Amino acid sequence: MTRCIILAVIAGLTITNAIADIPKVDVHKSIVRITTTAQDPDYHVPWNSGSISTGIGAGFVIDGNRILTNAHVVSNARFISVQRENDPRQYSGEVQFVAHDCDLAIVKVSDSAFFKAMLPLHLGPLPAIQSGVDVYGYPIGGERLSVTQGIVSRIDFESYSHSSADSHLAVQIDAAINPGNSGGPVLQNGKVVGIAFQGYSGDVAQGVGFMIPTPVIQRFLADIADGHYHRYVDLSITPESLTNSAARRALGLPDDDTGVLVSSVESDGSCGGKIEPGDVLLSIDGHRIISDQTVELDGDNVDLAEIVERKLKGDKVKIDLLRNHQPMTVEIELQPNNPYLIQSNIFDEDPRFVMFGGLVFQPLSKNLMEAYQIDDLQLRYYYNNFVNEEIFEQHPEVVILSNILPDPVNAYLAGFRYQIVDEINGQKIRTLSDVADAFKKTADFYVIKFIGANRPAVLQRSAVEEARQRIIDNYGVRVEQDLGQQTLK
Amino acid sequence: MKFLLFCPVWALLATSTLAQQTPGVSPKATPTVVPQPASAPKEKVAAELKGGSVLRVNSTDQSYDFFRPWSKKAPVNRRGLGAVIDGGEVLVTAELVWDSNFIELEKPETGERSSAKVAVIDYETNLALLKPTDAGFMKDLQPLDTNGQVKVGDHLSVVQLEANGTPVSTDALVTSAEVGHYVLDDFSYLLFKMSCPLQYRDNSFTLPIVDDHHLISLLLRYDPRSQTIEAISTPVIQHFLKETEHESYAGFPSFGIEFAPTRDPQFRHFEKLSDAEGGIYVEDVAPNSPAARADIKTGDVLLSIGNRDIDADGDYSDPLYGRLSITHLITTLFYCGEKVPVTLLRHGERKDVSVELFHRPPQDYVIDPYVIGHAPRYLILGGLVFEELSRQYLREWGPAWEKEAPQRFVYFDRYQGDLFPEPRKIVFLSQILPNPDTIGYPSLNYMMVERVNGEPIYRLEDLAKAIEKPINGFHKIEFDLDPKVLYLDAAKVQADAALLQKTYSLPLLHRF
Repeated sequence: MTRCIILAVIAGLTITNAIADIPKVDVHKSIVRITTTAQDPDYHVPWNSGSISTGIGAGFVIDGNRILTNAHVVSNARFISVQRENDPRQYSGEVQFVAHDCDLAIVKVSDSAFFKAMLPLHLGPLPAIQSGVDVYGYPIGGERLSVTQGIVSRIDFESYSHSSADSHLAVQIDAAINPGNSGGPVLQNGKVVGIAFQGYSGDVAQGVGFMIPTPVIQRFLADIADGHYHRYVDLSITPESLTNSAARRALGLPDDDTGVLVSSVESDGSCGGKIEPGDVLLSIDGHRIISDQTVELDGDNVDLAEIVERKLKGDKVKIDLLRNHQPMTVEIELQPNNPYLIQSNIFDEDPRFVMFGGLVFQPLSKNLMEAYQIDDLQLRYYYNNFVNEEIFEQHPEVVILSNILPDPVNAYLAGFRYQIVDEINGQKIRTLSDVADAFKKTADFYVIKFIGANRPAVLQRSAVEEARQRIIDNYGVRVEQDLGQQTLK
Repeated sequence: MKFLLFCPVWALLATSTLAQQTPGVSPKATPTVVPQPASAPKEKVAAELKGGSVLRVNSTDQSYDFFRPWSKKAPVNRRGLGAVIDGGEVLVTAELVWDSNFIELEKPETGERSSAKVAVIDYETNLALLKPTDAGFMKDLQPLDTNGQVKVGDHLSVVQLEANGTPVSTDALVTSAEVGHYVLDDFSYLLFKMSCPLQYRDNSFTLPIVDDHHLISLLLRYDPRSQTIEAISTPVIQHFLKETEHESYAGFPSFGIEFAPTRDPQFRHFEKLSDAEGGIYVEDVAPNSPAARADIKTGDVLLSIGNRDIDADGDYSDPLYGRLSITHLITTLFYCGEKVPVTLLRHGERKDVSVELFHRPPQDYVIDPYVIGHAPRYLILGGLVFEELSRQYLREWGPAWEKEAPQRFVYFDRYQGDLFPEPRKIVFLSQILPNPDTIGYPSLNYMMVERVNGEPIYRLEDLAKAIEKPINGFHKIEFDLDPKVLYLDAAKVQADAALLQKTYSLPLLHRF
């Protein structure tokens, strides 16, 4: 499984010093080797069940007989087997919680014998820069546990590549990283300070590996405490720095490096209706907002998003702001942001589609864009601007004619491929279900209108019925539609 | 630049896929392939050329740099052959002389030279007429006739010159005549394709193609791998020359529709089009175009234009070239100012309308399809560089500009008719020249300006007017994208202007 990653060692003087401080922990009794058989959905042929692959990663036991690992170790899993060190037996595991936005997952093993003699690891603090850490896992898929060492190089926001749409706090360590033991613990002073999860391929950078630090892990564990994962919450606003002198004076602000200007607010997001474009945000939960969009936290200047990063769904933040020069305080109840998921990798869901008359309709998603290598200018525009232009208001799902299974019934429709469905028989199409509903209604003609095209595609009911079985047989269409569950609401 | 002519054909085909907008009519159907009549090849030689019907044309061209609109790019020298025609004028491709600073005509045998001026230039059909500044220069030359006519299957001669001035002619077989992309995106006219084993010789741009003493065609491009020529066709040259006889050159007419074929039987049933008739479905009508003024509407099915029936693919039957796109009929066989009868079906009812044809100049588009021959418009305020969006600007990203240029602008360009129905221009921030007034602003670019000091901005003139009225001493500039608003201190910007101009060597802070 090339998705999995592990850290290797770069030795240095500082490390040797640090190692002396680390008390011995019997990690062998905490770490597990996870073998996942995954089936990745086939967005190109959505009724197919997808290709099967096997991968290896690491995980470790935490309190409550739970195994903590990376989401990408167990994504799209059909079967998970868990092994302990020095134990020939394989146990069947099951994903209990998965958080694709922060690449974390909890795996359960139902056989209670498994956890006997296993020692749960405990979470430690954010490690200091330059302090030494030990990294455990199964690099390049080996059978036996591997240990490597490195130091903490940097602590910053990083893009989490698993979803590709999320950024959270991450810790960079100088150990080389290899595929194969993602999910393995990074220890310092006998406590977990992170989970190894991603790195660069050798031709980009070396000695740069990343781990998920404990504030992110703790937030995940707190989120699932009620038995459900609710995802990260977000203010869903765009703040802009206020460091230009003319801008500050034009807004009537003193020269005190305080405050950021709100440039856009997502109407459906947490701040919709409460914060307006043009507001100047002065403080958040009592932390002064510095004009370059940072706040001081634990003695360090960090991105102001970090305040919200640690909160859960339904938590509140208090924001002091200036609106038209008048001071105001608003309380924001935090909610996850949904529209941005269109640009996020989708896991653990079957591709949703409707096939009618050889025309395949699918909602726009990152997986779809990648499966078809879509290059269409209009589609890319809708994809890239789905959030900032609030396209989701009109089209919670952007339903496209993604593919045409050639047949006499659709012989002249090839030019409509990759167009966005606007209407079918006068009914506005907001989601894929609307497409299924429209084709269910009896009509002599099905008139499909696309965005930006005035000429409709027309299917005659009799011709579609005549072609139906032929298309199903020729193309091995297992089911004609899968409406599944809707991701974007 | 010498080898531009010889760039492979696939690269040129890639740009022609944008044939979406409406200079005239954009066919969405595949171009017609004209069947090749079985006629015996004519025996041809180049001996007749000795009288001096071609001239060498040397042109020094210097185009504007749209990334730095205050300056020009490095000058380039282009060479080509011009065809001497009646009236003491020389016909060349527009490409040879556009944005020219200096043009020189040279008699190949004697080397005698004269400078020349562009009399008429049409960038869309890629044709230009040159006139020597010394009228006597043309005296002893033998003009080519321009009233010739060829068919598919005819043999022609491509004229080249050896370095010593001796004319060389290469036999070319006309293999097809079809409507295709000329040199600017979106502008398509009748093309001749020819099969011809051409060798690279002394000159590059503009090779005349003749039949005896008739000028038939000018070479557009040559693909050395397949040994095929694409050339400007006789009807286009004849239309151009006829139009130049008028006091002011009116250009080639446009119609102003986008259309789709009506082949699909299910679509025909739905639209209640009888099986016997052809017809094209009007997808879009450009505002203020000839079609719009004749009250042609989206959803109409056009059955005939100028009493020629249109088939379901948008072709008519041409007496010379067989099935051809109606683009040729509208742009080339008719002239600006002509009233053309059109029969259409609207909601099943036949209707006859008369369309008065006229040319749509590039400035009439929201985003000019080309800016050639005059300077780009810009305004610099406090280091913020504002320009008006044009295809010429986007083309600065090179041949792959549709992929490489800012995608939001490419989208604006492609869908300008839908996105911006009212007449206007797109004023945008092209870059920031860092200076004390912009400290704290990130390096921003490619953002469309919506309002300045509260006034909506539809063109650079609006911007110039709006900055005369700062709000409380500040310019408030609003954009379509984050950060949405930038402020500048009006007095400080004015005080710093001279320094900015000096620092970045800006000859002018605005030009429009």
